[in-house]
Amino acid sequence: MELNLPFLWRTFFLALQGIPVALEITILALVFSVVPAFFMALVRIYRVRILTPMVKIYVSFIRGTPIVVQILIIYSLLPSLINWFVLKTGSTYDIFSIDPVIYALVVFTIHTAAGFSELIRSAILTVDGGQMDAAAALGMKKLQAFHLVIIPQAAVSAIPNLCNLTINLFKETSLVFLMTVKDITAIAKIEASYGYNYIEAYLDIFIIYLLVCSAIQAVFYAMEKFFRKVQRKTR
Amino acid sequence: MRPFDVTFIWHSLLILIPYTGVTLGVMVLSLFAGIILGALLAWGRLSGFKPAESISVFYVHIIRCTPSIVLLFVVYYGFPGIYQYFTGIHAGYTGKLFYIVDALAMMSGASMCELMRSAYISVDSGQSEAAFCIGMNRLQTAWFVIIPQAVSVAVPNFCNEVIILLKQGSLAFIIGFIDLMGETQVLIGRSYGAHGLEAYIALACIYWLLTLIIEKILSLVETRYLRGISIVGREGGIWS
Repeated sequence: MELNLPFLWRTFFLALQGIPVALEITILALVFSVVPAFFMALVRIYRVRILTPMVKIYVSFIRGTPIVVQILIIYSLLPSLINWFVLKTGSTYDIFSIDPVIYALVVFTIHTAAGFSELIRSAILTVDGGQMDAAAALGMKKLQAFHLVIIPQAAVSAIPNLCNLTINLFKETSLVFLMTVKDITAIAKIEASYGYNYIEAYLDIFIIYLLVCSAIQAVFYAMEKFFRKVQRKTR
Repeated sequence: MRPFDVTFIWHSLLILIPYTGVTLGVMVLSLFAGIILGALLAWGRLSGFKPAESISVFYVHIIRCTPSIVLLFVVYYGFPGIYQYFTGIHAGYTGKLFYIVDALAMMSGASMCELMRSAYISVDSGQSEAAFCIGMNRLQTAWFVIIPQAVSVAVPNFCNEVIILLKQGSLAFIIGFIDLMGETQVLIGRSYGAHGLEAYIALACIYWLLTLIIEKILSLVETRYLRGISIVGREGGIWS
């Protein structure tokens, strides 16, 4: 097997340009899904009627179907839905000018919210129920108790799972080339298709993903260490 | 909005259902290979032999950081090249099943390793000491004492892994393998790309159903293994 080394070298730097897009999708999807995920977690913890089965079905659907299928469903549904809406209202907005990153964000937010809600639920359940009683005894309101007592404790125990979630999400963003977003994989694929240098291109992005994911892990590891230290000090 | 034909969902369901066998076949094959690989890695990790330990750690880290599609492509384009380098024969890109099972097994091997390791560790060390005291050797201890107890711990995670494997198998369409997902693409192509959404909805329903069935089966297995062990306070406290 002969590797085309100059190509390998050149494509590596080209593919690096895709990292901001991939990170942008990852981080924004995480940020956007925090609030709905927290809401869903609370719905499941307090067993709110009607809403609980809905959340369960949603989580089960997201868990039960491959991310590719979710991407393809939303990418074939959303643009035509927007188009219909635009035509109905009679505006002259050009839907083809919408950046496909927006669609990617929608897909990944919907996808992440499900996993995130399970994560938050399990993190809150690890906090002892007596803490809530104690907060109530001090005269705190429920919201205050969540904000001041439950969440700080739950957050620390959630960090390893959050690291897993982030890494999986980052890995899954490699599929956005199906939505014509130019991320790491898409750039490498395009470069490779000129001269059929697929193995070199994929070795490149293999290394890039390895580096970025290792960096993400390192960040989360440092974060966990820091929070554990803070927690120990306050005790 | 473009035409949405509900009857096409039914139509594509009927066409897609026979291909469930292909998807499940890929899943089962790679599951077996993954379990063997995972067992080897977990053995290396727990053996206390430094090189084996670091190989296992390194492998798991690499796989954890690689998107499944990248690994699939590296395997699909890389393995024939390596084979050609050693034997001079170009294996070609035709036996797609082999490459897919390979890539998926490499993926699941890493998570199986972690799963087996954590399940093995979760069994109290007093158990193996007790087994040592009644004169069992290490293999006997593992087989008769540790593994039966570790299985019940591992089942929920194993269920997760099986579902992840099932879902990752859907990426095989990218290298042109015809399973559920590949056939959906064929189906859409055959209707000139007109009924994409309907076909994908049918596909999602099939995957969802498969996941639910797998979850059900494995939860039955779990209750079978957990008989005699009471679980107190799974969701205890004021939260419930």
